[in-house]
Amino acid sequence: MSEGETLSAVGFEAWRTRRAVACAALGRHYDEGDARLAELRFDPSPAADRLWELLLSEEDRLAEARRRGAKIVGAMKDLGTVPVMAYALPGVVAFYPDGAWWTPCLMKHTDGLFARADELGVDDSFCPVRAMLGAFAQGDRFPIPDLLTCSVGAVCDDFSSIAQRVEGLGHPILWWEMPYRRMPEPGEPAVVLPGGVRAPRAQVELVAAELGRVRDALSALTGGALTNARLAEGIRVANRIRAVLRSLREIVFAAPRAPLPALELLVAEMLIIHFCSDRDETEAVLEDLLAEVRRRVARSAGYGRSDDVRLFWVNPVADLRAMREVEACGARLCGTDFLFTHAFDPIPEDAPPLEALACSALADPMVGPASQRADRVVDEMRRLGAEALVVVRIPGASHCAHEGARLIDAVRRRLGVPCLEVEVPSLSDSFSAAMRTRLEALVEAARAARGASSAVGSLS
Amino acid sequence: MSSSIFAGVDAGSRAIKIALFHAGRDVVLETDACDQGVDQAARAEALLARVLARHGLKRDDLDGAVATGYGRHAVGVARQAVTEITCHAVGVRFLHPAATALIDIGGQDSKFVQLAEDGRVLDFAMNDRCAAGTGRFLEVIAQRLEVPLDQLGACAAQADRPAAISSMCVVFAESEVVGLLAAGERVANIVAGVQQSIASRVAALAGAARAKEIIFTGGVAGVSGMREALERSLGRPVAVAADPRMTGAIGAAILSAGRDRACPQTRRMPY
Repeated sequence: MSEGETLSAVGFEAWRTRRAVACAALGRHYDEGDARLAELRFDPSPAADRLWELLLSEEDRLAEARRRGAKIVGAMKDLGTVPVMAYALPGVVAFYPDGAWWTPCLMKHTDGLFARADELGVDDSFCPVRAMLGAFAQGDRFPIPDLLTCSVGAVCDDFSSIAQRVEGLGHPILWWEMPYRRMPEPGEPAVVLPGGVRAPRAQVELVAAELGRVRDALSALTGGALTNARLAEGIRVANRIRAVLRSLREIVFAAPRAPLPALELLVAEMLIIHFCSDRDETEAVLEDLLAEVRRRVARSAGYGRSDDVRLFWVNPVADLRAMREVEACGARLCGTDFLFTHAFDPIPEDAPPLEALACSALADPMVGPASQRADRVVDEMRRLGAEALVVVRIPGASHCAHEGARLIDAVRRRLGVPCLEVEVPSLSDSFSAAMRTRLEALVEAARAARGASSAVGSLS
Repeated sequence: MSSSIFAGVDAGSRAIKIALFHAGRDVVLETDACDQGVDQAARAEALLARVLARHGLKRDDLDGAVATGYGRHAVGVARQAVTEITCHAVGVRFLHPAATALIDIGGQDSKFVQLAEDGRVLDFAMNDRCAAGTGRFLEVIAQRLEVPLDQLGACAAQADRPAAISSMCVVFAESEVVGLLAAGERVANIVAGVQQSIASRVAALAGAARAKEIIFTGGVAGVSGMREALERSLGRPVAVAADPRMTGAIGAAILSAGRDRACPQTRRMPY
C-alpha cells in the first residue's frame, strides 16, 4: 500500500534559496553569526517559515515595543501564568527571558552569553538558563524589561539563584511564591486542578494572593486597572490559543505519519508559555500550522514511514539540533511533555480569574511530586500508543537530577517499553554521535518488541 | 557463488573487529581485529579482505554485511548499520543462550543491556557523556601508573586496601591518582581502586534490574580483575563472554544473515 507523499525537511541553504523572503530573521541571524542555524533542517511550509520568523524576530519585536512606548514585562520562571495576565492589559508586551537558553545552541561565533555568565560566577554547573544572566549583563539581546517577575519556591533552585544574580546586577524582580504542590490532607478543602490533580484550597488561595501582587504591579506599571473583567478576557484568549495548540498536538500525534517534524513541534509548543512577545501572531502562527497539518494529513503526507517508532518525549533539549535526530533515527513523536503540559489545559473560566490562574499555575508538573508527573506521562503514553520513552536531562537543572529516574521507573514498570534517559548539553557537537547511537538503539529495541511474545507491558 | 557467509564489522572507538558467520552451518568461521587508525573505512576494507582471503573468499562471495560500533555509518563494506547495543545482545544470545543481561565496556562507553526471554533488547542504560566507567578511563590511569593493561588484574590482586577514587571525570581522576601517588599510596591499591570505581559506575547503570545471568563483553572484559570488580559492585556473578571483544561483530554478522528474531527489522542485504 502506498505511504502517500513523503515530506523532507530542507537544509539551510535550500531553505534560503527558496524561502528567504518569508523568514527574513532566519537569514539575518545566520549572517550575523548564528551559524549553527545552518546545521538545522527546516520544514519547508510557509506555516513553518512563519513559526521560525516569530521565534527569531523576538529581539526586533521587543526593541520595537520599547521604541513605541509599550511596557515590557519579563516573565521569568513562568510557564504560562504572568504572560496571560500581562496581555490582558493594552500596551503591554510580555516575554520569557529564560528563552535565552537556546541562544548559544544557535550560535557559533557570537556566543558570549555563557562566557559572561561564567565571569559572574554562574558556571556550567548551572542550567543553561544561565545564558539569561549573560544576556542581562550584556544588555544587547533584549531591552531591559520595565517589570521583571519571577516565581520562586517549588521551582528550580538553580534558576532562583541565577535570577538572584540578575537582581544583583540592578534589575529589581517581583518574586511571587509557588509552593510545592502537596496532596490534600483527609478532610482538608481541596480543588481539582486543570489536568486532574488535586491541591489543597489553601495553596490555591496562597498562589492567588501572590498573583494579586503581580496584578497590582501590572496595574501600577500601566496606570490602568487590571480588572477581573480584563483578566477574564485575557484568560479567554489564552484558552482559545491553547485550544489551537491542543488540536495541533492531537492531530500530529494521531497521524499515521508525522505531519510535522519534532523540532517544529517543540518550537510551536514553547510558544504557549509566553506567546513569544506577540500573542496575536502566536495565535495566527499556530492556526497556520494547524491548517497545514490538517492538509497534510488529508493527503496522507508525512515525514518518514508509517511504521516509524512512536516516541514519547519528556523535557526540552538545550540544543535544538538534537530534535532532528528523531526522524533521522526512524522515529516520530507521538506524545510530549516538555515540562509545561499544564499550559495546554484550559484555564478555568468559571472561577474568579486570579483563582483560575492560580489553579493553572499549581498544575505545573514541576511544582508537584514526580510521581504525579509520572502518572500523567504513563497515561498519555498508553493513550497515544507510545512504543518508547525519551527523558532528556537538562544539564545542571536541579529538577532533573532525580525526576528522570522516577519517570522511567514508572514507565518500565507499568508499560514495559524501552526507555532512554539522556543529557543533552547546550552545545552537543561532541555528543551528537553518542546521542544518535542511543536513539537508534532505542528505536531498534522498540521495533524488536513489536509482536514479541514476551512483551511485559501493554500499550492498549 | 553463494556461500551463505555473512560479515559483521564492529567499528569501535579503539579497534575494528570483524566476524564471519556461516549461516548454513550456524558457526562463526573467524574473527579478527585491527586498530581503528584514521581512515576507518579503508582499514575495515583491508581487514575484511584479509579475513576473507584466509578462507579463499572474495568480497563477491559475501551474502551480506552489517556494520556496528561508533563508526558504523562510515564503514562502506556494510550496507546496513545496527547499533552495538543490539549487536552485542545478538552476539551474547548466540554465545550464551541463557543470558538475561549483558554489560559491555568499550573504549568510550559502557552499557547495561537487559535481555528478554527471546534475546531481544528489553531495555538499556549507557554511561553519561564523560569517559568515567569506560575503557579509556582505564587506559589513561594504567598509562599514568605505568602498568600494562594486561597486568592490571595481577597488580590489583596485590592490593591490601583499594584506594577510593571519587572523581567522576577522567581528567580529575587522573589528578586524584597523581595525588595518591604523591601521598605514597601503593600502585596496587590505586589500580584496585580504579577498577572498583569503574565497576561501581557501570553497576549503577543496572539500577534495580535483577538479571540472573550477566555476560560481560567488550574490550575491558579482557582486562583481568574487572570481572571480579563488577561482581563485587553488583553482588551477583558475572561471566566473561566467550569472545568478549568480538561479541558485537559476531552479533552484526548474525543479524546480517537474518538469523535472529531479536532484530526483526534487519533484512538481508545482498551484494
